[in-house]
Amino acid sequence: MRWLVYLFREAWTNLRTNRTTTVVAIVTTAFTLTCVGIFVLSYVNLRHAANWLQEDIKVIVYLDDRLPLEAIQELEDTLKADRMVGGLFYISKDQALGEFRAQFPSDSHLLEGLGENPLPASFVVTPAPNYRSLNSVNRWAERVTIMPGVAKVDYNQEWIDALAELIRYIELAAISVGVILSMAGITIIGNTIRLALFARREEVEILRLIGATRTFIRIPYVIEGAVLGVCGSALSLSILKLGFELFRRQIGSVGRFNEIESLVTFLPISGCAAFVGIGMVLGIAGSMVSLRRFGETRG
Amino acid sequence: MIQLIHVSKSYDRRVVLSDLTLEIGKGEFVLLMGPSGAGKSTLLRMLIGEERPDQGQIFVQGKNVGQLRQSEVPYLRRKIGTVFQEFHLLPKKSVFENVALPLLVQRSSVAEIRRKVMEALRAVDVEHKKDQSPASLSTGEQQRVCIARAIVNGPVVLLADEPTGNLDPERTAEIIELFKLVNARGTTVVVATHDPHVMTLVNRRVMMLIQGVLIPEVQGGDA
Repeated sequence: MRWLVYLFREAWTNLRTNRTTTVVAIVTTAFTLTCVGIFVLSYVNLRHAANWLQEDIKVIVYLDDRLPLEAIQELEDTLKADRMVGGLFYISKDQALGEFRAQFPSDSHLLEGLGENPLPASFVVTPAPNYRSLNSVNRWAERVTIMPGVAKVDYNQEWIDALAELIRYIELAAISVGVILSMAGITIIGNTIRLALFARREEVEILRLIGATRTFIRIPYVIEGAVLGVCGSALSLSILKLGFELFRRQIGSVGRFNEIESLVTFLPISGCAAFVGIGMVLGIAGSMVSLRRFGETRG
Repeated sequence: MIQLIHVSKSYDRRVVLSDLTLEIGKGEFVLLMGPSGAGKSTLLRMLIGEERPDQGQIFVQGKNVGQLRQSEVPYLRRKIGTVFQEFHLLPKKSVFENVALPLLVQRSSVAEIRRKVMEALRAVDVEHKKDQSPASLSTGEQQRVCIARAIVNGPVVLLADEPTGNLDPERTAEIIELFKLVNARGTTVVVATHDPHVMTLVNRRVMMLIQGVLIPEVQGGDA
């Protein structure tokens, strides 16, 4: 086991000997990963918001004004029997008018001039939990729209579509920025390892001549890359958490964003672990790139 | 033990070794003499797989070194101890740690490392300096540590490239005596040097290399 202790001690010596380079590499990697993290956090929160909206999705099935009561009952039975329907309740024309007046008291006079109540009766449908995705709701709405007695089906489609599109763009941006900045992270850590290799080239040479395998020579540098990646990503995570808490406190202080404050969320523990894991993988990749180049010149 | 068959090597059309054929038996002590640039170091580097011949074949303990895969070379080097003129000791490690390196790369146990390193240090008479930094030692002592590192894992061959180049005549004689002791234990020893004084210290086989060509063998003589 002494050889294992030796390998870890060598990695630690590398990190300590090149202290300035090590700190610069960790800080630069942290800021690089923070940029990636901002996109990841935005993506996570938008997805969270989309899920919340989907949970809360209500589909309003407006009925024909001339629909007799028996037909309304028949339609209600049909909808209730549908497996995609989680629950529904009926809003009559009078209830709709009452609600309108309650919600918009200053605009209620607008309906006075029309004489007859223009608001249609409707069913407010909550989709069953397994059918709340946009695609499912779309398909279901298309099916219901052509049912006899149904005038229109409405469910804030434009808003949900726009959000879905925004999420797609953020996802794409997160992936693109992630890939580009990951390359930058690999290069930063790779250069640090290259400096360490250069500083210890004589030692590498001696190890080669006394029969050390490539793996034995490389392990301390791979450990060093992994440590740099983990430290960089952990620091980045701390910066993100700090920024996130400041942001949440800021929006919490503005009364009208109270509800949003409770909705925004940081990465879950598994997400944080994955973030640090990605940092470690980037660090190892950086080391491997430098070691490969070093190996090409050293045989 | 070592066999070279029609070995040639050039760098940028400059011939360094020309059609070299030689054989060194198990347990032999051979001096490889020649002026600087004669090809001695190249020959030693080829024996440890650091260089490949352009032509010919090199065998060490029956293995064709020129045809070894890169991944097999470290295992060949573990059977060969190497001593350099510049010592190549790691300044930030103690004498003990420097000598322990060949055992560490072979993943030897702690007990084995302790036992073999102390044996090697005792053999070259620097046991009392085990905790010191190589920089605090004299050049003669540094070369002794280098020899201890070369013999610590009981190599079958010991190659020394200008091992006395940085030493005065008295230290040179001491180092040559150490090589003789190592040889007396059955290790094949090849010492490359340009110093004619070394030849007077060794009554063994001498191979003269001039401009990459091997001159008919002569015999050294103990002073």
